[in-house]
Amino acid sequence: MTSQRPVRSLDELTIESKFSVQELVSRSALEELLASLYDLFGIASKVFASDGALIAEAGSGSALQIYLSSLPGGRRLVRETVELVKTSTPKPNESQQLQCSTGERYVVVGLDYDGRLLGRVVIGPFLLTDDRELPEALLRCDPAIELERLQELWRLLNHCEALLIARVVVHLRTTLGLVLFSGHRALLASSMHLASVQESFRELSEKSATLQAAYERLKDLDRLKSNFLATVSHELRTPLTSIIGYSEMLIAGIAGDINDEQREFMGTIHEKGGQLLELIKGLLDLTKLESGTLSLHKAETPVLPILRDIVHTLLPTARAKGVVLSATGDAGVPTLWGDASRLRQVFLNLTENAIKFTPAEGSVTLSAAMTHVELPLDADDDGPAIVMRGVKRPMIEIRVADTGIGISEVERPRVFDAFYQVDSSSTREQGGAGLGLSIVKRLVDAHDGTVHIEENVPRGTAFVVRIPCRRLSFVG
Amino acid sequence: MQLDFTSRELTIKLVYYGPALSGKTTNLQALHAASTPDATGRLMTLETRDDRTLFFDLLPLTFGSERGLSIRLKVFTVPGQVIHSSTRRLVLQGADGVAFIADSRVAETENNAVAFRDLRENLKQNGINPKQIPLVLQFNKRDLPDVRGEAELAEMAAQGKEPVYLASAVRGTGVVDTFVALLHQTWQLLDSQHGLVEKFGFDTTAFFADVLVKLTDPRPLSAVLSSRVGKKNPKGSKP
Repeated sequence: MTSQRPVRSLDELTIESKFSVQELVSRSALEELLASLYDLFGIASKVFASDGALIAEAGSGSALQIYLSSLPGGRRLVRETVELVKTSTPKPNESQQLQCSTGERYVVVGLDYDGRLLGRVVIGPFLLTDDRELPEALLRCDPAIELERLQELWRLLNHCEALLIARVVVHLRTTLGLVLFSGHRALLASSMHLASVQESFRELSEKSATLQAAYERLKDLDRLKSNFLATVSHELRTPLTSIIGYSEMLIAGIAGDINDEQREFMGTIHEKGGQLLELIKGLLDLTKLESGTLSLHKAETPVLPILRDIVHTLLPTARAKGVVLSATGDAGVPTLWGDASRLRQVFLNLTENAIKFTPAEGSVTLSAAMTHVELPLDADDDGPAIVMRGVKRPMIEIRVADTGIGISEVERPRVFDAFYQVDSSSTREQGGAGLGLSIVKRLVDAHDGTVHIEENVPRGTAFVVRIPCRRLSFVG
Repeated sequence: MQLDFTSRELTIKLVYYGPALSGKTTNLQALHAASTPDATGRLMTLETRDDRTLFFDLLPLTFGSERGLSIRLKVFTVPGQVIHSSTRRLVLQGADGVAFIADSRVAETENNAVAFRDLRENLKQNGINPKQIPLVLQFNKRDLPDVRGEAELAEMAAQGKEPVYLASAVRGTGVVDTFVALLHQTWQLLDSQHGLVEKFGFDTTAFFADVLVKLTDPRPLSAVLSSRVGKKNPKGSKP
């Protein structure tokens, strides 16, 4: 390999042509090619890389050379032969035929690709059919040489027609050209593939960094928005308290008698002021929950008294609308781990909502029961590896079920978003700013609980809240 | 461009760019068919099963004077399909000249414009100034119906500085013109930057004569260069 880098650039592989034979062709494939030539014509051949390294060969050296190597003078001839073949370097598209002092012949063919010499193919040794006489140099190379043995080995050498050799050279050049071309093509394709993947990765990384920066900026803006909302809500509350307080005093007649019409007007001011205060409180809660600054006072809390209290509080509202409101629950339901006043806020909100969206002669039912919920390993746990899961966790399930208009499946996950209303026309009809459920969701989250919506058969909606019975621990 | 002083060899990279199916590969095939065997090697194509270019096509061409400098050209096409943007950018790296192959059909006008913007963007990404790189425009597929009129193209071509050629690559017309014009422009820029004529005693006239002989085009260079449309001041007769 000429390069240590995993991916070669297109320019290296095309413009600069920086590659070796070994990168384009596998040694074993080359060896097979040479072997097939040897099988067909009995002609031995070798392929060398441009740095002289032997890459593939087929056919052994001649028996003549083996005999010569056993004699000192013969060894000299063999060495000369090797040297001659080694130093012969044909130009691209050319071949050289060599006759050595042993009388044996070789053809050296340039292994060129796209005008570049990548190596050499040495074909031989062989004799031409005209080569009948043993050369003088061979006969006199060593005093100990045996003439009969020499003549026998000479006969054993491969005698070929000159035309056959020429054809073999052309065939080999064409075949190797094709093999190198295919190898180059494959090398380019794989390099381009890697380079394209790298380029796409670089592009995606850049985009991802840009998105990350934008995301960070949006998070900062979101924090700013929450802070702003908190400040504004707080500043709104102070003067509003005065408005409500002074309207109360006026209604109570502290500043003197007022007539009925004035009382009615003051009543409206007082009532709307109260609504405004609730909205502002909701906003404050939401921002506190979002920023994580709302503190919960968790304790062992019995749930049934909370539900009964809510029924008690909202019974007049329900009656006024002609809705039946009730709470049920087994007396044996254990306590849950939570902040009683915040949980009350959760169920009050859900119950108010349920009454709001239930028509006359409908019903709203609060119930509590013990349940065991499997803890997922993490947020996106999707089922497998049951054996790896945590233990089942005891939880209290509180259902607020109504026989109202219902919420479609599509809308269900979205109703917990702040300011979201399923149908904006209902806002005018029913009131509310769409804050209640988002506060519910965040309060339940803060209790390590869950809230989701189910269909209430045959009609209506059930909000299902689950709050753990005790602190999160892995003791079953 | 790569200059090898020891072997006196200059390798130039030319890139055929353009929208999908505008005939970039067909241009290379026509060029390959027109070349004499001593000038060209095998045309390498890296395509998918449906014959669409996946990475690029590569046509090697060699021209040159006996003495002086031999010129090796590597002519690439890019994959035109929109999704291969990163491959196009890779192929465009280190390009010495670009031929933009547009589809003449009226319906393809917008696609041509999009691909041209893509070319400019990818040149910039590769640190190449789109205003300085040798650029030749070709309106291909003149043999099809519903093509933009020659008069209209000539009028618009006259307003720009890049030479514009009309072609029908499937019929082999305009292909050599586009290629030779691009090579001529590229050569002039490289020579002005590197003083090749002076350093190597290069004979530009003989070189382009050799190019046209090896592309089996009997016309003189001036005739080939002036076949552009909408020419204001026909240049190119200057060697």
